[in-house]
Amino acid sequence: MTLTSTTGAAVASRPGTDRRYVGRRRRAAPSSLQQWWVLSLRLIKPIFRNGEIVSAILSPIVFTIGFYLPLKFVMNFQGVDYAQFLMPIIALQALSFTALSAAMKAAMDRVDGMSDRLKTMPIRAGTPLASRMSANLFRLFVSLCVALVCGHVIGFRFHLGWLNSIGFCLFALLVGFALTMGGDAIGTLSKTPAATTQALTLPQLILGMLSTGFVPITGFPEWIRPFVRNQPISVIATAMRDMASDGVDWPTLWPALAWAFGALSVFAPISIWANGRRG
Amino acid sequence: MSPRHTASRTLTKPAKNLRADPGATEPASAFAVHDDAVPASLTSQAEREALEFPELTHAWPETSLRALPRQSLLHAHRLLFGWLRDPLTTVQVLLYPGLMLVMFKVVLGNSIGAATGQSAIYGQVAMMALIASMVGSMVGAISLQLEKRSGLLSRFWVLPVHRASSLAGRLIAEAVRIIVTTAVILIVGVLLGFRFQNGFWPAVGMFFIPLLFGLAFATMVTAAAVVGGQTKLIEMISLVTSLLMFFNTGFVPLMAYPQWLQTFVEYQPMSCAVEAMRSFALGTPLGNNLWYTLAWAVGLILLFTYPAIRGFRKAANP
Repeated sequence: MTLTSTTGAAVASRPGTDRRYVGRRRRAAPSSLQQWWVLSLRLIKPIFRNGEIVSAILSPIVFTIGFYLPLKFVMNFQGVDYAQFLMPIIALQALSFTALSAAMKAAMDRVDGMSDRLKTMPIRAGTPLASRMSANLFRLFVSLCVALVCGHVIGFRFHLGWLNSIGFCLFALLVGFALTMGGDAIGTLSKTPAATTQALTLPQLILGMLSTGFVPITGFPEWIRPFVRNQPISVIATAMRDMASDGVDWPTLWPALAWAFGALSVFAPISIWANGRRG
Repeated sequence: MSPRHTASRTLTKPAKNLRADPGATEPASAFAVHDDAVPASLTSQAEREALEFPELTHAWPETSLRALPRQSLLHAHRLLFGWLRDPLTTVQVLLYPGLMLVMFKVVLGNSIGAATGQSAIYGQVAMMALIASMVGSMVGAISLQLEKRSGLLSRFWVLPVHRASSLAGRLIAEAVRIIVTTAVILIVGVLLGFRFQNGFWPAVGMFFIPLLFGLAFATMVTAAAVVGGQTKLIEMISLVTSLLMFFNTGFVPLMAYPQWLQTFVEYQPMSCAVEAMRSFALGTPLGNNLWYTLAWAVGLILLFTYPAIRGFRKAANP
């Protein structure tokens, strides 16, 4: 007691010190940046320890050889260079796995009571979300790298120089970021992590398969082509493919950008709202 | 039967009252509670019978073979209703495979048909029936791990029931599930253009092959779930499963695979089963595929039954 008051007095007597941040009943003076860094590492470090990094690396590999080797012959028959064709969907698939794990992460934080615990502590409101998203961004980066290596192995090449290549990667990261934002929102709002993953697998399956990512539009039955051609995954995959091979033009690019930014502008507010509310 | 046993049949008074009654010095009088202790509201015969314990009619020893079928069926019944009442399981076991089949047909049907000159649906139906049985086994294995963790397996172990009934009941439940999912797949397949071109008995064979294959796989996964006891093992198996799914002759015909891969693709268990099922549906010559399938299935069952039994015992006695 004496110690506190003496130090308090000593500090307070110094000119320019705010009394509110001194003593036993002092207010917390959190450093958001440091909190963000600590909470980010809390999520990034276990990735290397619990085998998540292995599955993050293995799943694009399995996915790549699983589609490329069997379907190469079938697609060459249609005159499609399949490695070049398949690359965008390999990247998108890897990124959507990251979105699943993002949902899982958010749901686990909620179920374990971590989110509630953080809300009771002197932590700035956005910090837990920001740290989760930076961990997700790290996963996205790893996934994208693995996907690019996979693509390179099967024969995918960037034909259009640095600017387009960087555009390809940045656009992929943007889409992935929007997806993880959505995953985080769903994970935060859901009560059971298992149900979360299940709920997300189905749209991923339907949109992924029924897109021009695997098969050119001519391979689909006539009646489903309008849907396949205009759904977001197809639009995005086409734009990314053009960035790598033929050169992308504005009419191809803007719908893809619109979908990506549209998704981000829907998911981000939901995620922020879901993380900010109490109870 | 002991006198204590017979007395328990007429016990209708709640246990709480027994403990509160200080006058009950003699155990026999405490158990032999009669009409005067019954609340006034429960005086009718029907109500009293509803509260009584059922009379033991089959006190078979836990090693008797007569106990096994009945107790196994009880376990199977328990598992099947558990799965049925869990929407997640139902969706994963029934809806997903059907949906996947539709996807495969819509996405790849035309391309494969154009490149190979044969309808893709026959291979896809066979492949999805097998995959559905495999995916279902995974669901079963996860529920088994949950039971192990929650102590339910140990609880069953201390009951005076046949030691094999838990495992046997699980396999019976798996068999019923496989038949149901195969039926769903075949119905979806018929809607998509699949036809039984070979009559009735080969159509029965279409059920028999996923059943055998799925049971062999279920034995393997069960062994993995109780011996390994970690989720990692299940993940590894699901990884191998998805690789097998891409590299079998139901996905694309054998000739579409690169040369160096063809031998593996041709003789891996799923391809053999797919080809046998395709022959059953189309009436083309079976070749050795049925024998290969049988050999794979029997081999897996022989190899993994003992680990499954041992693992079950170990999992129940942590």
